[in-house]
Amino acid sequence: MAGGPKCREALDLLHEYLRQELTPEHMHRITDHLEKCRPCFTQAQFERSYLLMLEAKAKGQCCPDQLRLRILAALRSSDQPN
Amino acid sequence: MTAPEARRADFEAEALPQLDPLYRLALRLTTDPSRAEDLVQDTVLKAFRAWDRFQPGTNVRSWLFTILRNTFINEYRRRQREPIPMDLEAIEAHITERPVADEDPEGAFFAQIVDEKVLEAIDRLPDEFREVLVLSDIENLTYAEIAEVLRLPIGTVKSRLFRARRQLQTALYDHAVEMGYLKPARAR
Repeated sequence: MAGGPKCREALDLLHEYLRQELTPEHMHRITDHLEKCRPCFTQAQFERSYLLMLEAKAKGQCCPDQLRLRILAALRSSDQPN
Repeated sequence: MTAPEARRADFEAEALPQLDPLYRLALRLTTDPSRAEDLVQDTVLKAFRAWDRFQPGTNVRSWLFTILRNTFINEYRRRQREPIPMDLEAIEAHITERPVADEDPEGAFFAQIVDEKVLEAIDRLPDEFREVLVLSDIENLTYAEIAEVLRLPIGTVKSRLFRARRQLQTALYDHAVEMGYLKPARAR
């Protein structure tokens, strides 16, 4: 496991970095560090595989059509005057 | 179009595109498809009733997630089992979480695991870890959004996420070893 303050920063912000949620300046700083630090680079690779795995395997589930229709019907009946 | 119809059309345009993420979160929280369906429907109808209180321009998905989670805690979890006050410190003492990145640095084994096993492993996480992991790593909410939905400080969100990921990664790693997808890197 990596050590210095730059490593700590990189690991702390790793997931936000992988999701490209940091400011351009921060993105650049982390990229720069990962290019120089092998342990952090390895950790980044591992976490990237992890996120890609979830993207592929856990995001496929969709709201069933009959539920969608049930909800639409309920919404439509709720604004009918009684 | 009458005023109630316009209000409904407005709500539907915002809320209906969120049904997939709502259903996924409901499935992970209830771990039961039929209860997940009821939870999503209850959530959407509650949101519709409260629609006038929603502030346009704020994040509709976080708002709906908040309603779904509160509904789950107040009306669903109680029916499912006795609410046990969670002592995370005590739980952590029993958790087998290891930095598996040391053992398969590229995380290549992740790709081998079938979808159901991944979902099962997520569903076995303690509630407090599961919800934060789903919101972050599956639904891509930011830490700030998660903090709002769960009403937790951002620091707590981050530390729970760290542990949740470790636990899930460890469970998947152990599964991969068990299935022979990879050999344990070294004896422990």
